[in-house]
Amino acid sequence: MVKETKTESPVLFMSEASFSYAGGHSGAGVEGISLSLGKGEVALLCGSSGCGKTTVTRLANGLAPHFYEGTETGTVRVCGLDVAHAELWETARFVGSVFQNPKTQFYNVDVRGEVAFGCENLGFEPADIERRVDASAKEFNLTPLIDESLFSLSGGQKQRVACASAAATSPALVVLDEPSSNLDFEAIAQLRMAISRWKATGTAVLVAEHRIHYLEGIADYVLYLDNGRLARRWTADEFARLDDAERIRLGLRARSVDDAFRNSGCCSVPAMPYAQKAALGENVVRLENLTAHCRKNGVLEKTLEIASLELPVGSITALVGACGAGKSTFAEAVCGLNRCDGTVTLEGARLGKRARRRKCFMVMQDASHQLFSESVLDEVVLGMEGPDRQQRGLDILCDLDLDLFAEDHPLSLSGGQRQRVAIAQALATNRALVVYDEPTSGLDLFHMQQVAEGICRVCERGITQVVITHDPEFALSCCTHVAVMDRGRITEAYPLEESGISRLASFFRSEYHAGEDDPSIRKTPYSRQKE
Amino acid sequence: MRLDPRTKMVMLFAVSTVLLLGGNGGAMFAVRTAMLLFPFGLLAISGRMHAAGLMLAAYLGSYALAAFAAPTLEGIANAITVATATVVSRFVPTLALAYFVFATTTVSEFMAAMGRMRIPDWIAIPLSVLFRFFPTLGQEARAINAAMRMRNITPISRGASYVENCLVPLMSCAVSIGEDLSAAALARGLGAPWPRTNTGSVGFALVDAVVIAVSLAATAALALSLAFPEAIAW
Repeated sequence: MVKETKTESPVLFMSEASFSYAGGHSGAGVEGISLSLGKGEVALLCGSSGCGKTTVTRLANGLAPHFYEGTETGTVRVCGLDVAHAELWETARFVGSVFQNPKTQFYNVDVRGEVAFGCENLGFEPADIERRVDASAKEFNLTPLIDESLFSLSGGQKQRVACASAAATSPALVVLDEPSSNLDFEAIAQLRMAISRWKATGTAVLVAEHRIHYLEGIADYVLYLDNGRLARRWTADEFARLDDAERIRLGLRARSVDDAFRNSGCCSVPAMPYAQKAALGENVVRLENLTAHCRKNGVLEKTLEIASLELPVGSITALVGACGAGKSTFAEAVCGLNRCDGTVTLEGARLGKRARRRKCFMVMQDASHQLFSESVLDEVVLGMEGPDRQQRGLDILCDLDLDLFAEDHPLSLSGGQRQRVAIAQALATNRALVVYDEPTSGLDLFHMQQVAEGICRVCERGITQVVITHDPEFALSCCTHVAVMDRGRITEAYPLEESGISRLASFFRSEYHAGEDDPSIRKTPYSRQKE
Repeated sequence: MRLDPRTKMVMLFAVSTVLLLGGNGGAMFAVRTAMLLFPFGLLAISGRMHAAGLMLAAYLGSYALAAFAAPTLEGIANAITVATATVVSRFVPTLALAYFVFATTTVSEFMAAMGRMRIPDWIAIPLSVLFRFFPTLGQEARAINAAMRMRNITPISRGASYVENCLVPLMSCAVSIGEDLSAAALARGLGAPWPRTNTGSVGFALVDAVVIAVSLAATAALALSLAFPEAIAW
């Protein structure tokens, strides 16, 4: 009898839950969160960066207040367990967690160990663990990778390992914190499959996310957080009926893949004039015979092979392609940072590897890797020459809206601001070609537009730019050209005018369907059940 | 071939002690040379030929430098060369073996071995984090190094502040990696009071016995040569 009443009660129940961080630096607190999630229900948490989405997920898996210290009031229950007062390992029996950064959420070095990790901690029987690991690996299409090192996997594969590991303990609730940030469209489609499978098997799912399009048709509730409060909540139908102007006002990303292409004008920066301007220019940046090698298991493998690619001077090229296609290798080779051959012709000069390190610049995905100085101004002045360099440095900071932070320590800035400091470095040292490695991963609509505006401003100075991205909304908001990469080669390159937009749309759609139609995933018992 | 993590620990201890302390005489030279086989040979057998070759070259190079170049130099140059070459030649084999141990041991195996030895969790868990922490930090360090080359920050151009330029981003990475790793591990039930199940298969085979016997014999020879220098000096 007691058991029956338990299954009737919600899996996740929050009532007037509030949390504020001690010291207040590790994230935004939340206030008065009430929600209830039953078996097989999926709730999507959305809202701008810093609105407290992550904190809600931490309340659900107990990391707040047990790991991130702070004060909590209200009630959070998972399957009747009072999360705030239970130990983390008690909560872990009911809640599986998937985090944003695939680099730092793993504890093991091999796939098998990682999938088994949760079960081992919970003290399951060895035979039971083996059965669970095999089942979970099969379900998430990891069987061929089970003995691989985690360090050799692509971002999408890593996120699948994280999901498989969460699923292996058969939790009642799975909590995902921005799981799609570093994923390409194919991997996102697979993530969608994973969540719909959980839904079908009665697991409750709580997802905090910016890129919400892949949850279309799966999320039962959409909760909108603003400044730590649940400002709006919609059912799936209500959310689908929400009009686009309202969605953009709330700072939400496209609700479906098609949406992203319908609203290409959503960004404040008009893309088309640039496209025309760039198309007129006769000067080009020419990349010739760009090849790079990488040592894999002791064998030298060719990871990049570009015979010839021309980028109009002053253009902004979106470099798209699946995870592991060689896009980051391309960025490194262009900047002369890895084991590579070939030349880049810039401003009439053919540059070898060494010379490129002075004329090309890469803005890294994690910009904190390229901040070395005590203050933002020092950071920009470092490498500049001439007596008036302080003044010129300040001018550049003004241009990028960073002048107020000139004396601050670079590491005290937000991620987006750090990125702009890196851009300022490129401007200060007169680079002619700037490459961005996924500058918008994990950004909300507003911050994405801000990055796009920054890139457009750099464009006005006649600097040629290449942006590696998995994000169609972003590509449409500022890019003038598109280059598609597959297995180390550029397979297509075209200007992003009207026909280009539809080509890009079909590229992303086919990538998405490749993930959905993966036969090894479709043949899992659960989807057969549904059929 | 898989070695038990406990065997690897014995071997790591033996190799580092024997090669660091050295001992004198022809017999100990033979023992030291034999112990060199462990780091470089095992690295090569485990498929890391490239690393094995590089580290062996570093070892032989520094050894040759100490033996042949040093006598021809005088004064400070001599002191610096001898000191550097000696330090490098003594530490490289240990580093090579440590690399082998970290690269070939899974966290699960390590935890299982720790469990068998009845090492308490509060020692085993922090140690097991290192398996993940160092490679992750290594990846970050490579990115930071690329950024520095791109901005022409070298020891020559920056002088003393070069070290600071390296360490600032690396420290901030290390802190956030450590925090994220711990959060992810705790959220998945690490540190529960009940006994942890270890699926990593550990156990001694013939090869473990051989490696342990050789390691113990070498350590014993070293102890003997230090205690009674005349006893085994030929």
